[in-house]
Amino acid sequence: MEKKAVLEIKGYTKVYPGGKKAADNVNLTVESGDIYGFIGHNGAGKSTTIRAVVGVLDFTEGEILIDGKSVKKDPVACKEITAYIPDNPDLYENLTGIQYLDFVADVFRIGAKEREDAIRKYADMLEITDALGNLISSYSHGMKQKLAIISALIHDPKLIVMDEPFVGLDPKASFTLKQIMHDLCKEGVAIFFSTHVLEVAEKLCNKVAIIKQGRIIDAGDMETVIGNHSLEEVFLEVQDEES
Amino acid sequence: MKSRSIVLLSTLLRSTSQWNIYKHCKDKRKKGRIIGNTVGYAILFLLIMAYCVFTCVGYGKLGLADSIPGTCALLVSALAFFFTLMKTNGYLFGFREYDMLMSLPFSPKTVAGCKFLYMYVKSLGWFLAVSLSMMIGYGIYAGPSVIAYPVWILLTFFLPIVPMLAAAFVGFLIAKVSAGFRKTNIVQTVLIFVFILLMFASRFLIEDVVRNQKVDQMVSKMSGAMDHATHAYPPAQWFADGVSVLRLSDVLLLVGLSILLFEVMFLLVGRSYRKINSGLLTHGGSKKFNMNERRKRPVVQTIAAKEWRRMTGSATYMTNALFGELLVLILGGASLFVDLDAVLKKILHDAPVTKEMLIPAIPFIVYFFIGMVATTAITPSIEGKQYWIVQSLPIPKKTLYQGKMLFNMYLTVPCTVFSTICLCISARASVLTTVLSVLLGIFLCAFSTCAGCASGIKHMRLDWENEIEVVKQSAAVSLYLLPNMFATMILTVLVVVIGMKVDVVFVLLGMMLVEILLAVVFYRKAMKLAQRTI
Repeated sequence: MEKKAVLEIKGYTKVYPGGKKAADNVNLTVESGDIYGFIGHNGAGKSTTIRAVVGVLDFTEGEILIDGKSVKKDPVACKEITAYIPDNPDLYENLTGIQYLDFVADVFRIGAKEREDAIRKYADMLEITDALGNLISSYSHGMKQKLAIISALIHDPKLIVMDEPFVGLDPKASFTLKQIMHDLCKEGVAIFFSTHVLEVAEKLCNKVAIIKQGRIIDAGDMETVIGNHSLEEVFLEVQDEES
Repeated sequence: MKSRSIVLLSTLLRSTSQWNIYKHCKDKRKKGRIIGNTVGYAILFLLIMAYCVFTCVGYGKLGLADSIPGTCALLVSALAFFFTLMKTNGYLFGFREYDMLMSLPFSPKTVAGCKFLYMYVKSLGWFLAVSLSMMIGYGIYAGPSVIAYPVWILLTFFLPIVPMLAAAFVGFLIAKVSAGFRKTNIVQTVLIFVFILLMFASRFLIEDVVRNQKVDQMVSKMSGAMDHATHAYPPAQWFADGVSVLRLSDVLLLVGLSILLFEVMFLLVGRSYRKINSGLLTHGGSKKFNMNERRKRPVVQTIAAKEWRRMTGSATYMTNALFGELLVLILGGASLFVDLDAVLKKILHDAPVTKEMLIPAIPFIVYFFIGMVATTAITPSIEGKQYWIVQSLPIPKKTLYQGKMLFNMYLTVPCTVFSTICLCISARASVLTTVLSVLLGIFLCAFSTCAGCASGIKHMRLDWENEIEVVKQSAAVSLYLLPNMFATMILTVLVVVIGMKVDVVFVLLGMMLVEILLAVVFYRKAMKLAQRTI
């Protein structure tokens, strides 16, 4: 399969009011079929970068392109091919699970048959089908996370952006999500996600970027970045070196 | 295929629909609460409608039926403006599900426009209640042609749009300015306060202009004022002319302007929507923190300090909670520099009331503002999803609510004391009267704190989507506020009347006893309710 840049972050810089830099000249490229891990300490700038990629946050300098389209200039076109799974999804608590999924499917203009098939497939895989008729307010954190995952996958996105996707998932759901990621990657979908679980990142990702205080301090193919070491050793080493 | 705007608007409405919760909820207690709230709202609607019909009857009996359409237009417009102004921050900007919505393929204009339309649809019931009941009153006394009724109904749907857009625009400017600061909440609160105070000031200026027309009778003065205001606000004039003389051009002007302004407004808001929300929802933490010597505090004070931080963390909460205190501080400070007798003459339209007569009412005048909001009615519900934090604390529930009460006392007592002393000095009250007035003011604060707490715990609701639902629209706040406000107004008049016959010291002592008794009753009730909470 021919590799093609799906996400390009070029010189992305985010400065908060007051002058603090959340991200400083971040550059990275995620290609189709990549599972790209984004790791760093708490407050390093991972979530800010991710939120800028999915068009939620404004940024100060640079350019973010999804499938060649600018997030700033053409946000709707970018979001039509992107899926976002936040770390702590704020869903409409007073809707039922199926009402929420129908809302997302309507927004992405998915036909009745396709949405039914996609919902059934992923809800069965994540074992949440029985709870879809209940109000989201009655869901646990993990169930909300599963619902967010299904809603992100029903429109066949080209790019999936996830912020700490494994937090709150039970072991079986974590395993299922990893399988889904592998399957989608084989179909040419690009996946960009942040995580603190370095063992997972090392096993799952073919590329990785390490961010510290808003700057990328190492990035590239997993083998090149870690060499003969574990990702954990490399991560701790580069963090210490920089400080 | 439905348009994305319709999908979003219908989902926003469904996501807060009580009917949807009732249909899918399995908790019988929650279902019961929904039915109770619906009945309560229905009663409130009926009361408002009855009030409007009787107002029209008054107009009709005095031969002023022609002023009803203009009055209706102004009333609906004023309600629409103020409802929206207080809600813009929280509904239009800085709302909880911002990330989820903005990551979906909606343009910023669609999100902002749908959020506005959501506010509009949610408030429409109130506007229709006012307008349609006034239409009935107008129909009885003015006997308009049959076509006037559908025109009235049609225009009611458009009438709130312009004032709502104006309020949203003010909210947009405030959000835009404050998004550029690190302390966005503080800046937003200050700007909202400044704007509201400017509105108050301009209201008095307008009233002065109107009064200079020298209309003799009080009722015709009111009607005259309304007519002047109607002329000053074109959409109200278009509504009035549209329904009374059935002028098509006025109907088209109101409808056309509403649609045009909506389009222009959201084209403008859409352009900087992401930037504003980015500023409001993200903050850069300070780079260096120096660990100073820490202080140990009693648990009750710690809870009170927590409540302070919760309040200052939200512009919506802060604006509502501190507005009364701000007005009272201004009132107290200003009273030292103005002649109270002259002010009374102006406010009471030359009625024979002197500052000496008002001395026993000073604590109630101050309390009218202070008691408008009791944070204790808000604090139990505002915990929301973070309720687990206080639930898991190793402290009795009584202590938790005592802390919340202490916070309200910290907010209200200093302002009450300051303002009461200032007003007493200005009214030349004796030292004994001043001391008793201050004490009565403190007991009123205690009563407000305890009554608010009882209402807050009894009607605690943690599953809210937006904190405005707790701060402004909750049953806990309404059931505290309305009886308290009317009781304060009645007591203010009552003490003035009694004070003319009985020595002011005895009046104040008597009122102090009543307030102490009420505070104790509500304190015990609040503590009893606190023990029942989970």
